[in-house]
Amino acid sequence: MNECILVVDDDPEIVGAIAITLEREGYRVLRAYNGMEALDLALDPAVRLILIDVMMPKLDGLSALLRIREKRNLPVIVLSAKSEDTDKILGLSMGADDYVTKPFNPQELAARVRSQLRRYTLLGDVHAEARQGLLVNGRLTYDPGRRELRADGETVKLTATETKIVDLLMRNPGRIFPAEEIYRRVWDGEAAYACENTVMVHIRRIREKIELNPREPDYIKVVWGIGYKMEQHGT
Amino acid sequence: MDTKWNSTGPDEGLEQFVAGEVREALKGAEDAPGVVKLRVPGKTAGKLRAAAGLLALVLGVSLVLGSLGQTAGRLAGGADSSSFGPGWWSTDWQETPSFRREMAQRLQAFLSMATGSDLDWWGTASGDTYILSGDGDTWYTWGSMDTATEDITAEDGAAPDADYAADQNLLYQVIGPENELLYSNVPAGAEITSGRELPEGYNFHLVFRHGEVQIRKDGEPVDVYGDGFYTEDALWDVPGYENFTAGEDVAGVTVYMAVRQEPVPYVQLSTDGGARFYNGLYDTYQYIREMQGFYVLRAVLCVLGIACLAVARLLRTDRRRAEARLAALTRRVPGEVWWLAAILALLTMVFSMDPYTGCSPFELWYYGWMDSSLTDVLRLLALLPANTAALLVLVWVLWLRHITRKNTEPDQRWSLLRALSVRARKYPFQRRLSRWNRLALVLICLPAAFWLLVLTRILGISAYDALFWFTFLPLLLSAVVLCWILRKNAALARDIGLLADQVTAIRDGDLETPLDLPADADLRQTAEQLNDIQAGLHRALAEQTRSERMKVELISNVSHDLKTPLTSVLSYAELLRQEPLEGAAADYARIIDEKAHRLAVMVQDVFEVSKAASGQLPVQPERLDFAKLLRQTLADLEGPISKSGLTFRVDLPEAPVMITADGRRLYRVFQNLIDNALKYALEGSRVYLTLKVADGRAEASLRNTSREELPDGVDLTARFVRGDASRTDGGSGLGLSIASSFTEACGGAFRVETLADLFTAVVSFPLSEEA
Repeated sequence: MNECILVVDDDPEIVGAIAITLEREGYRVLRAYNGMEALDLALDPAVRLILIDVMMPKLDGLSALLRIREKRNLPVIVLSAKSEDTDKILGLSMGADDYVTKPFNPQELAARVRSQLRRYTLLGDVHAEARQGLLVNGRLTYDPGRRELRADGETVKLTATETKIVDLLMRNPGRIFPAEEIYRRVWDGEAAYACENTVMVHIRRIREKIELNPREPDYIKVVWGIGYKMEQHGT
Repeated sequence: MDTKWNSTGPDEGLEQFVAGEVREALKGAEDAPGVVKLRVPGKTAGKLRAAAGLLALVLGVSLVLGSLGQTAGRLAGGADSSSFGPGWWSTDWQETPSFRREMAQRLQAFLSMATGSDLDWWGTASGDTYILSGDGDTWYTWGSMDTATEDITAEDGAAPDADYAADQNLLYQVIGPENELLYSNVPAGAEITSGRELPEGYNFHLVFRHGEVQIRKDGEPVDVYGDGFYTEDALWDVPGYENFTAGEDVAGVTVYMAVRQEPVPYVQLSTDGGARFYNGLYDTYQYIREMQGFYVLRAVLCVLGIACLAVARLLRTDRRRAEARLAALTRRVPGEVWWLAAILALLTMVFSMDPYTGCSPFELWYYGWMDSSLTDVLRLLALLPANTAALLVLVWVLWLRHITRKNTEPDQRWSLLRALSVRARKYPFQRRLSRWNRLALVLICLPAAFWLLVLTRILGISAYDALFWFTFLPLLLSAVVLCWILRKNAALARDIGLLADQVTAIRDGDLETPLDLPADADLRQTAEQLNDIQAGLHRALAEQTRSERMKVELISNVSHDLKTPLTSVLSYAELLRQEPLEGAAADYARIIDEKAHRLAVMVQDVFEVSKAASGQLPVQPERLDFAKLLRQTLADLEGPISKSGLTFRVDLPEAPVMITADGRRLYRVFQNLIDNALKYALEGSRVYLTLKVADGRAEASLRNTSREELPDGVDLTARFVRGDASRTDGGSGLGLSIASSFTEACGGAFRVETLADLFTAVVSFPLSEEA
């Protein structure tokens, strides 16, 4: 496939490490060490995805991102040492497709790159799928008719119970379900005292199948003290 | 003097008496043992008893004080002083001292008329012996009061007995020494010389003959002289005793007197169209009846009052409740009203005319009608309660004030003065001060003006008088000085006000505008000192703000600077592990990787704790179920928990325990606490997680038995402090610190207790109100 990825960071070692990881995955990597360089290289039509750090000399990552967005429509993953929610929200609202905090796990980063690329290439299909009555939420696509969940276009193998939970959550993105309700609707039984544990076990398993980092899930989230919900993402 | 007795008293007394009697009967029925009581529910019965107790108290005190006060007033008034003596309360008026005195006075009057001279009973006394005899002066009639001092000879030569003749309640015949009939009012055909056969309706017969008196009542002779010696206690003030004899001139006179058993009023129409009443005896009769009735009724009322008081005492516990209820109403009455009412009542008592002397006690004192001897002072004081209405008002006003104070706290009561001062406090300081100044001016100038007025108008001192200027000039001087002081005060008030305003402004955060007082102001120095304080505060605040900002920036920068190399370390450690490494090198790579991961966790923890400590941690509070959060946390950490070999004993309420907190932060709190327990608890021991609701707070506690000995006196929540001294285990030393600072950032309270090896962490939140 040899898709070309632009990696931008003012720390050459980090760029190097990312490049090695990605090249082992089979990608071609372009390197830039500040925002200005990134702007130049981003114009290369071969570049299919950009990984860009926020705090850089000359031109910071978010400003570079805005400029790139004027010219090209391609997935951008922002790398940052800032881990606050506000920083993430700021990055995503500036047009980033994903936000990864430093220090990151190289494997997870590679998975996110893969996911973004797949989504980018599948984008046309996604619109078509949405028209066909499929439920689309970020990386996830759910076909209620066939009860089939796809993450980045790949079918996720789920057990019957997991499918029921996914069915419930995908049909109601953003809505918070208490464990008792999930239990009642999925197991068709009265909520037992230990249902919290049961539901949590299943949710953890689903997360492992669909989340890029199951420990910091992007999709199925716990709303502490209230219940569980499917986070709503844009397409 | 004795014309007023019917005007007050008995009627209202009777009303009270009847009311008292009715209450008495009602209460008697309720309280008497053996009487079948009405079955009323306990609460109603209690209320009834309380009301009855209160009523009994009011009636009892009113009756006792009213009757005693009126009695004391009448006794002190002195109108009855000569009416007391043997038989004063007798139902037969002819047995009373007043009657006896009247008879003696009539006899004396007739003897005076007969001898043509003024007979002074005591005028001819010598030693212990008294002789009744004329002294040859002009004589006066005796008897009815309105003519007592009138010289009868001046009345167009009318007969001296003209006033007596018409009063047929007393028939008389006066016969001179020569056996000539001098005066008589006996109607034709009637005969009163014999005591045994008197005209119809007459039963009292008195004969004065040969200087002795013989009395027959209902035909029976009366013992007039007793043992024959006249003393001050003698019943009859008439001559005939061994030591009280009639003189030569008197002894020759014979007087017959007959008195009606029941006197009736006689009216004579006079030639000038008016009516004259000759009712001396009838008045006496009426007076005796009234006086007896008065004292007897007061005694009865007093006894009734005492009975009421006894009932009130019996019901005192219930009564106190009624008093408390009453106090709940009366506490709304401003405290000053009680004093005002009491003073008014007292003034009324002092200045109102009492019915027995016809004067107010003040007048009696002021005009010197009573001197300052102890007896007179006591009499004067005894006259005060004669005004029963005022006395009762005084007593009840004081009582109401007493129960109000007894049953309420000072801040529940109402006081006009306090309300005014509270209102005044709303005004700025300088306005209050200038108000006081104005008030002082008025309070000083008004009396001064009044004094000038008195000087010129009333004392008649004119401006040409030296005395006027002697008085006026110092007054003028004082006024000038006063104005000067007040002006100075006004300036001071303005400055103090400015100073107070400045303090308020500084309190409200204005640290930049200094206070500029005139250089000659008394408070100039104080103002400058205040300005110094303000400037110092401003500097300190700026310093603190800058250092706070720097701290936050420092935290962010340090965190960023740490994370950048850490990212490289982690990435290359990962890459290194993917390389084919020989023997020990593989281990080294694994160790580097693990420690780098731990370092990453620590950096993040330090970052968050620092932010929380400087109050910069963003929180998103929402209403959540504390119990559910704990269940979710346990479920989330189920893997590590089941691997730890520890047993978790969990006691969480099924019902939601709603609190307001940031769920994700609170999750971190318990994640850290449970991690802490997993790390430091004794292997195989039990960990207890409980959530209790009490006093409007939800309190979650996690208890575990520590593996290591817990150090004494160390704040485990302090950053980088751990239960064991070694730092070889996996903790960052920040777990409890994070738990503590996150809990507090969410609005909860966090504390750690250690008892021997038992470690307890307690997280508590106020329960959230229904949204």
